[in-house]
Amino acid sequence: MAMTVNGEVELAASRDLVWARLNDPEVLKSCIPGCEEFIKVDENQFQAVARLKIGPVSARFKARVMLSDIDPPNGYRIAAEGEGGLAGFAKGESTVVLLDHHGGTLLKYEAAAQIGGKLAQLGQRLISGTARKLAGEFFAKFAKAVEG
Amino acid sequence: MYEFKYHRPETLQQAVNLLAENEDAMLIAGGHTLVPVMKQRLASPAHLIDLSHIEGLDSIAMREGLLAIGATATHADVADSSIVGEAIPALAELAAMIGDPAVRHKGTIGGSLANNDPTADYPTACVALDATIVTSKRRLKSDDYFQGMFSTALEADEIITQVMFPLPKQASYQKFRNQASRYALVGVFVARLPSDVRVAVTGAGADGVFRLAAFEEALKKSFTSKSLEGLSVPSDGLNSDLHGSAEYRAHLIGVLARRAVDAANDRA
Repeated sequence: MAMTVNGEVELAASRDLVWARLNDPEVLKSCIPGCEEFIKVDENQFQAVARLKIGPVSARFKARVMLSDIDPPNGYRIAAEGEGGLAGFAKGESTVVLLDHHGGTLLKYEAAAQIGGKLAQLGQRLISGTARKLAGEFFAKFAKAVEG
Repeated sequence: MYEFKYHRPETLQQAVNLLAENEDAMLIAGGHTLVPVMKQRLASPAHLIDLSHIEGLDSIAMREGLLAIGATATHADVADSSIVGEAIPALAELAAMIGDPAVRHKGTIGGSLANNDPTADYPTACVALDATIVTSKRRLKSDDYFQGMFSTALEADEIITQVMFPLPKQASYQKFRNQASRYALVGVFVARLPSDVRVAVTGAGADGVFRLAAFEEALKKSFTSKSLEGLSVPSDGLNSDLHGSAEYRAHLIGVLARRAVDAANDRA
């Protein structure tokens, strides 16, 4: 099962500041819905644990997060690969582009994700709505983190 | 199977206490959503509190001029109830269209509303009929209760006890269902209340049930399907998946809304 989620967010902060926050593990941890752990394991590699709670589903996922195509302060590619144990797997990657915009920054993202295993069997009816909802929550918190 | 503790309270107060006392507890009514999820290990609560043996929580009656349906009334109870059939036939028809016979005989109105699946049928009836959701703590208007897909105003220690429906002058629910899951690809509930017309849509919105203000305004002027002609629904924010594109769903909303108005007028 594959899907794509695209979007853009206007942020009232400079591109340099947005870029710094995008590369701060503490900020990412506080913005990823349900994130309990976000640890740097290597240059541009992180280990994350998130508890996903959507409707009746409440499961903990471990993921490896990798950054590539790093081009400060214009953007990067972020890829995550998660294992939900028996529940199945989820992986995705997104390009993030930062543009100057009305004195602030316009953040554009284009994400593609795949899920498999039982997660796909049960979740295919809801997966695109879920992905949009999670992306929305992430960027709402991220906007607060850069603007606040 | 992993271990969890099963509780079977006999009164609402016992259920409220169990929910407050136990961390990581989940309520179970019909279990048609929760049990499959538990089997897949996508949820593993330490405590299950079964509401289905609470005396009287499934009652269906007219109270204060409103149709009051208890939280553990099953879809089959609602579909077959002569009280519902007389008061709000559209609601009985909606219940008869949910899922398959197994779902209808186990699944409950309270369970459906607490879950707020973005393609569930009951949320449209609550929103279109301006129903009040009564809980162990308070009363919530439908417009305040539903807060996006799988999100409601319910607090962690709160239990739905009943739903109070005002009686409409006319109403109808029309659903285009997914043939495999029987969930609504799109469902539209149209209700003409004594002083309002409300149109609610499920299955189509990325964020669950929503109202169609433009359709409501047109129907307030004239409650005919003709008054909806020419009105279209923007596909922005609608679901797009392997079952249908956002544009297809937007089109279906218009078709089903007109059918619902016609069906409501044919009944009168």
